[in-house]
Amino acid sequence: MINLPSERIELSYTKKIVNYKYAAIKAIKRDKYLILMSIPGLLITFLFKYLPIYGLLMVFTRYNPAKGIWGSEWVGFYYFESIFKDPYIIRCVKNTLLLGIYSLVWSFPAPIVLALLLNEVKTIWFKKMVQTLTYLPHFISAVIFIGFLRQILSPSTGLINFLLSQMGIDKINFFGRQEWFRTLYIGSGILQGVGFGAIIYLAALSNIDVSIYEAAIIDGANRWQRIIYINIPGIMPTVSILLIFALAGILGNDSLKILLMYSPQTYETADVLGTYIYRMGIENNNFSFGAALGLMLSIVSFILIVVSNYASKKISETSLW
Amino acid sequence: MPAKKLVKQVYGKGDYMNTNKLKKIGSADLIIYFILLLISFIMLYPVLYMFSVSLSDINAVVRNEVKFYPVGFSLEAYRMFLKDARILKSYYNTIVYSILGTFFSLSFTSLMAYPLSIRSFCMKKFNTVFLTITMFIGGGLIPYYMTIRNLGMVDTIWVIVIPGSVGAWNVIIYKTFFLGIPDSLRESAYIDGANDILILFRIILPVSKALLATMGLFSIVGIWNDFFTALIFINTNSKQPLQILLRSILILNTFSNTELDKINKAKEVNTQTVKAAAIVVAVLPLMIIYPFLQKYFAKGILIGSIKG
Repeated sequence: MINLPSERIELSYTKKIVNYKYAAIKAIKRDKYLILMSIPGLLITFLFKYLPIYGLLMVFTRYNPAKGIWGSEWVGFYYFESIFKDPYIIRCVKNTLLLGIYSLVWSFPAPIVLALLLNEVKTIWFKKMVQTLTYLPHFISAVIFIGFLRQILSPSTGLINFLLSQMGIDKINFFGRQEWFRTLYIGSGILQGVGFGAIIYLAALSNIDVSIYEAAIIDGANRWQRIIYINIPGIMPTVSILLIFALAGILGNDSLKILLMYSPQTYETADVLGTYIYRMGIENNNFSFGAALGLMLSIVSFILIVVSNYASKKISETSLW
Repeated sequence: MPAKKLVKQVYGKGDYMNTNKLKKIGSADLIIYFILLLISFIMLYPVLYMFSVSLSDINAVVRNEVKFYPVGFSLEAYRMFLKDARILKSYYNTIVYSILGTFFSLSFTSLMAYPLSIRSFCMKKFNTVFLTITMFIGGGLIPYYMTIRNLGMVDTIWVIVIPGSVGAWNVIIYKTFFLGIPDSLRESAYIDGANDILILFRIILPVSKALLATMGLFSIVGIWNDFFTALIFINTNSKQPLQILLRSILILNTFSNTELDKINKAKEVNTQTVKAAAIVVAVLPLMIIYPFLQKYFAKGILIGSIKG
C-alpha cells in the first residue's frame, strides 16, 4: 500500500475512525519505523538524563554505593543542614559570586567591543585574518591553554618573569599567589572566548539595513555617531538575550578550568562551589553532601534564569519565553 | 553632496570625510587597525612561542633566548616525546574516542530528530516533551557519577562515547534543519515504496551534508578536548586519552610513569622543551585542519543561535 504523508494525516484526523484504540494500534503500525528510530535516543536520554534525576534522592540518605538509595540510611534534611554548617561554604559562595560578577563586567562586553571594532574594518582580508586568529584559542582545550599559561608565567623558567626581572621587577609566582587567581581566570577566559563570542554580534551587525546608514550619512552623522545611534541599538536585542543567559550563568563558573588552575595555596580565592562539589563528592567520597550542594546550586540557578528573564521582559521587551 | 561621493562613503573603504585622496584611511581607522593587530598578535603569540621553544636547543631555552623563532634548531624534544609508548597509546585512544563518539552522536541524533520532523508522527509530542525536560532539569555531577557507576560503565570506552551522543539542544538543531528539506522529496520516495529508514539514509542525510559536517566537527573537537569525563571515570592507564596525559605533564608536573618520568627525575634534561613539544603535538591536528574548518564553525554557532 502506498503510504503518503497526506494520507497519514487523514488517517489520524478523520471522523471515519471511531474506535480510538483501533486508531492507536493503526498509528503505531504505520509509524513503526519511526518509533524504532527513536528508541536509541530515548534510551540514552532516559539512562543518562533521567536516572541521575531519580538518583538525586540520595541527598536524603547517607548514601552507600554498595547498598543503593533504598538500602542506605535515611537521614532527611541532614545534609542540607550540614551545608550551612560547613566551614568552607562561605568562601566558596563568595568566590563563585565574585568570579561570576567579574566575568559579567569584563568577559561579557569584550566580544561586543571586538565585534564593533571588526565591523568598522572595510578591508576584507584583514577582517578575515583577525577573525580567524581570534577564534583560534576557543578550539584549544582547557588543559593545553592553561598549560601554555603555566609555562609562560612560570616563576623559574617563564618568559614573562624573565622579562620582568630584566626590567628590574621582582619575579611573581602567578599561579601560586591567591591575589592573582581572579585576574588569570578572567583574562584567560576573555582570550579564549572573545573571538567566538563576537561571531553572533557580527551577524547581528550585518543584518542592519544599509539604508539606515545612508540616511544617517546624508543627515551628517559621523562615524562615532553612527556607532552610537545605529550599531549599538541594532545589536541590543541580541545583547539582552545573551545577557539573560549570562546573568543566569553567574553561578556557573567554568569549574573544569578552575580545576586545572587552582592549587591548595590559591583555594582562598579560587575554590568555587563547582570545584568543592567535585572535591567533596568524588575525591572524598562524600556523595550525599556533594549531591545536596549540587541540587541547591541548580535550584538557585533556575530561579536566577526565571528572574532575569522576567526582568528583561519588563525592561527591554525581549525574553527567552 | 554629489551622489558619487555618497556611494563611496557608504560602500567604499573607510571614511571619506577627508577630501585628501592620499589619505584614504583616516586616523580613526589606523587606531582600529592597530588595536585589532595587537589583539591578533596576543592570540597568535602563545602558539608561536611554544612552537619555537619545542624546536629550540635546550640551552637557548634555559637562557630565555627564544622569543619569536627557534634558536639552535633541535628535534630532540619530539624524539623523546614520541618514542614513549604510553603517549602514543593515549594519542591513539583520543583518535578512537573522537571518531566513535562522533559517529554515535551523528547517527543517534539524526535517528531521534528525523521522526520529530514528520508532522503526523504519533509519538512526536511525547518525544519532544521528554527531551525538553532535560534542558531544564538535571541531576548534577554526583548523581550522574553514581548512575554511571551503577550501570557498570566506569573505566570503559562507552562512558566517553555514549552519554553525550544525544542532547536535546542538538536534536532541535537537526530537527529544524530537516524541516527545511522540501516535503516533496520524501513524498516521492514514499510513492516509490521506500520506508522511513531508507528515506532517512538515502535521501534526508545525503542532502544534510552541511549540517552533518558542522555538527561532526563540533563533536570531534569536543571529545578531543575533553579531559573531565576521563578524569572521573577512567582509571586504567592504557585507556586514558591524550588530555589526561597532558594534564599530568603540563599541570601536575609529574610525567606519570611514562619513560619521560625517569628522565625528569634524573634531571638529565630540562623538561621545558618536552612540554612545549607536548603542546604542539596535541594542537597540531587542529592547527592543520583549522583553516579549512573555521567557516563551518562560524556557521555552526549561527545555526544554534537562530533556532534558539
